[in-house]
Amino acid sequence: MSEKLGKIADSLLNGNVEEVSKVTQELLDEGTDPEEILQSGLFAGMEVVSKKFKDCEMFIPEVLRSAKAMQGAMEKLRPKLSEASSSQAGTVVTATVQGDLHDIGKNLAGMMMEGSGFNVIDMGIDQKTEDIVNAVKEHKPQILGLSALLTTTMPKMGEVVNALKEAGIRDQVKIMIGGAPVTDDFADEIGADAYAPNASIGTEKALELIKG
Amino acid sequence: MPKINQTIQETPYFRVLSEDQIERIYSAALDVIQRTGARFYHEEALELFRNSDAVVTDENLVRVPLSLVERAIESHPRKINLTGRTGENRISLDKDTVNFGTGSDLPFTYDRETGERRRTKYQDVLNAGRIVDYLPNLDFFMSHGIVQDSPNTQTYDRHQCLAMLEGCTKPMVLTSVDGEGLEDLWKMCKLFRGDDEKEYRLNPMFITYIEPISPLMNDRSAVEKLLFSAEKGIPCMYTPCPSAGATAPASLAGMIVQSLAETLMASVLTYLKNPGMPLVMGGVTTVLDMLTTTYSYGSPELSLASAANTDVSKWIGLPMFSTGGCTDSKTLDEQAAIESATSLYYAFLSGANLVHDVGYLDSGVNASLESLVMNDEIIGMVKQIGKGINTEDEYMALELIDEIGPGGEFLTSEHTLIHYKEWFQPKLQDRSDYATWVREGQLTMADRIQSETDRILKEHQPAPIDDKQHQELKKIVQDADERHAK
Repeated sequence: MSEKLGKIADSLLNGNVEEVSKVTQELLDEGTDPEEILQSGLFAGMEVVSKKFKDCEMFIPEVLRSAKAMQGAMEKLRPKLSEASSSQAGTVVTATVQGDLHDIGKNLAGMMMEGSGFNVIDMGIDQKTEDIVNAVKEHKPQILGLSALLTTTMPKMGEVVNALKEAGIRDQVKIMIGGAPVTDDFADEIGADAYAPNASIGTEKALELIKG
Repeated sequence: MPKINQTIQETPYFRVLSEDQIERIYSAALDVIQRTGARFYHEEALELFRNSDAVVTDENLVRVPLSLVERAIESHPRKINLTGRTGENRISLDKDTVNFGTGSDLPFTYDRETGERRRTKYQDVLNAGRIVDYLPNLDFFMSHGIVQDSPNTQTYDRHQCLAMLEGCTKPMVLTSVDGEGLEDLWKMCKLFRGDDEKEYRLNPMFITYIEPISPLMNDRSAVEKLLFSAEKGIPCMYTPCPSAGATAPASLAGMIVQSLAETLMASVLTYLKNPGMPLVMGGVTTVLDMLTTTYSYGSPELSLASAANTDVSKWIGLPMFSTGGCTDSKTLDEQAAIESATSLYYAFLSGANLVHDVGYLDSGVNASLESLVMNDEIIGMVKQIGKGINTEDEYMALELIDEIGPGGEFLTSEHTLIHYKEWFQPKLQDRSDYATWVREGQLTMADRIQSETDRILKEHQPAPIDDKQHQELKKIVQDADERHAK
């Protein structure tokens, strides 16, 4: 059985999407504890991916393939995991604010977070403030990720923070922001919880925010 | 005796794509437009397409038949002339004529007093203008920084344009918030042509910068600007900024095909609105760095793809907006110098008409005036290469070689006195001997760049704008602020 867990980790590292999903299902069918599959198979594999990325041995396209494999396995695993499981820590809602149609950075951040076990709900581009507030009400995410590339649309992120306050749900969600003109200072200014300059730091910060 | 069957290569010759390859790329771009199409988030644009041979499905997805695309492309002029506000600085966007200029809208600036990175202000854009106004190798001005101390982000463009006009008398490339913003900028510049629309069209001062969003998306503000440019005949560039591997294929040919398709869609739209708008092809075609996810301004792929794009533009017969003199480095260091020089060389050799982003640091995020001064020197060197080798008798110097003879010297000959002046004479690079360098304080290139920047800022003032005109300009800016006040 541990052989199969090792196989998950290896297949994850190699970005073999089908294999990871297949072995995860086999282990579940055999009655393996889902938490063990998650910890000793998936997280163990992604930890190596993360290290290799930091050491410049893996690059974004390979990391994203691994993340996709992770996400596929999580879809099978998530319904079986208990509420208390560490993987249940995270739902993330992501959106590009109103007036802005740029989304590659947001999408990249979402994919990387999925690779770390988060359940990512992407609202897409050009999202109205009230729609974002409604999505927070509906999905009750632990983290809201907002993105803007333009200095002209950047103020919309502050508008979202204020609207969440007015709706009385600001305390229920951590807000992380990103985009080329965004800074730590700007995050402080508008009352966001974190700023991520890129997708991998975004994932790290998301994990920190969840731990609180 | 005169010779027969001679070909003289007046300048170096550089191209990336053969004619067959260009035809393949063009043909593939037509396929993208016909088969895949592009999305337009703008009702009037969709209406124009619906009333033409184009097909609109899925709310806003536009596909265009080849015949319409080809008619549209034919409608743009092959050449654009631009003049600065005083009428003295002229540039021509003519095949293989290369003009260099800054980039636009950098959100951050290194403060020259404190050295700290901070948000770009009005005065920074004005100072960049003064530097560009002075530097002999910069031919046009984009704002360098984006004004962020204006009362409202929705009117930054008018303030920025005013700062640019105050600081610089060279032709400009302008960004704007939306169609209304562009209209104000056009009104501001029109004041310098007697506030006469037709006179302005004859002597435009700026090209408006507009971007699609790759892949194949056109947002509301971009379309507003395209339609207004078409209506008024304002020269306009539609310049995709795809990152290979992220918002375009990782293969450079695929990225060039996609970005050409994006530009051609703008050609069709403006043709349907009002044929004949001067259109510039563009494309900051580069790679997404796969370790850092940075949109790279220093990659060799940027230069290679831009040069290939320029080959395509010349074949199509549209002027080309290319990129050079920029870097991913956070500061003006060795990396900045390497990347700036490399991209400037290839952009120049490719024959692109406007080479922009000169002076960009930090992948298009940080502005520095020193970077402009350094790049001016590089452009001087680059242009020297463009002079090529003259092989006429005077230059072969056979008579002179014979006259001086074995063991003689050329230092004191009339020929040297005349022809050494054709060489590039560096202003900032140091070619002295070691002892002299030590005696003069062991200054580095960075030291010399800094003191030259100080000197220009202290000494150079652009030709002033007369008071009446200045008041009229300010009125347009104030009116915009009032309209947008909350």
